[in-house]
Amino acid sequence: MSDIFFHITISHFLILAAVLFAIGMVGVLVRRNALIVMMSIEIMLTAGILTILAFARLHGDMGGHAFALVLIAIAAAEAAVGLAIIVAVFRSKRHVDLERLHHLRD
Amino acid sequence: MIPRSGYSAIAALCGAVLVFFLAPGAAAAAESGPPAPPPGAPEGALGNTAAVALLFWVLALATVAGAVFVITRRNMVAGVMGLVFTFFAVAVLYAMLYAHFLAVLQVLVYAGAIMVLFVFVIMILNKPEDEPWALTGLVGKAIAGLALLYFLMRLGGVLWGVREKPAASGAELSPGGTIQSGDFGSLAEVGRVLFSDYVFAFEAIALILLSAVVGAITIARPGSGSSSQDADEGAAVGDGERAPDA
Repeated sequence: MSDIFFHITISHFLILAAVLFAIGMVGVLVRRNALIVMMSIEIMLTAGILTILAFARLHGDMGGHAFALVLIAIAAAEAAVGLAIIVAVFRSKRHVDLERLHHLRD
Repeated sequence: MIPRSGYSAIAALCGAVLVFFLAPGAAAAAESGPPAPPPGAPEGALGNTAAVALLFWVLALATVAGAVFVITRRNMVAGVMGLVFTFFAVAVLYAMLYAHFLAVLQVLVYAGAIMVLFVFVIMILNKPEDEPWALTGLVGKAIAGLALLYFLMRLGGVLWGVREKPAASGAELSPGGTIQSGDFGSLAEVGRVLFSDYVFAFEAIALILLSAVVGAITIARPGSGSSSQDADEGAAVGDGERAPDA
């Protein structure tokens, strides 16, 4: 039993990444503020990168690092565009409450 | 919202976990020295010492605590600070996985650039939210929560089953056997991989960043597109930097 605690394996990193992803997903599902939702998405992306790096370590394959680099760049681009959209929405609606932004829904 | 007593509960939990891992770990390290890795085991993430285990658990706790902090805070600046904390801890986790260069990138790009972006946007729309939780459609969310829980349990089972490569007595060598163990994750290796096998991905990054910059400017420019009428009737946000021809 204590082996779980003292023998750190790749599985530990994978499960930690899964927990991080789950927390980010809870944030996306339950928060109403668009900015907090964006932060939760960043957490989920980070969890994905952590998973990729753990598997790269497991297989000794540097390709995972290239993928992680691409993911970090995509996260930066996504944050820029997403925050731009949030600013534009705030300009026109004076709020960023996702529960009240349903103009595309009905 | 976590009530005020939640902070002390979290602190107590951290303390308990620290004590739990410190005490037996120190004892084991004292009596046996660095434990020899079992034969045929893994390249393993790391040498499996008590210090490594302690480092991992502290970092895991910091990451999860920071992430929970982010999604529970009402104050957005506090949320950003929690996110920065999480990203720093995750960067150290990357380093534990021998991804030194990506750990540096994580701090530079995530904790640096992206978080500054967030802080600026929070500065622009500094508005307290009246009701932070979206407590509508509770039934659907309860079902989604249960499904998520089940999914996580199954996922945890699968992930726990991931073992180190069975036949990897050659330690960190890749199947091609080209990577010396000391080079794994180094800047030189990342550069070699990025400019040989994944050069198209590298070029795609350039395109993505360019289009993201152009798109962000186009979207957020005051007076652009269909939001111009609304922006006009809106208050002074961005009116100062409006381009004369917009």
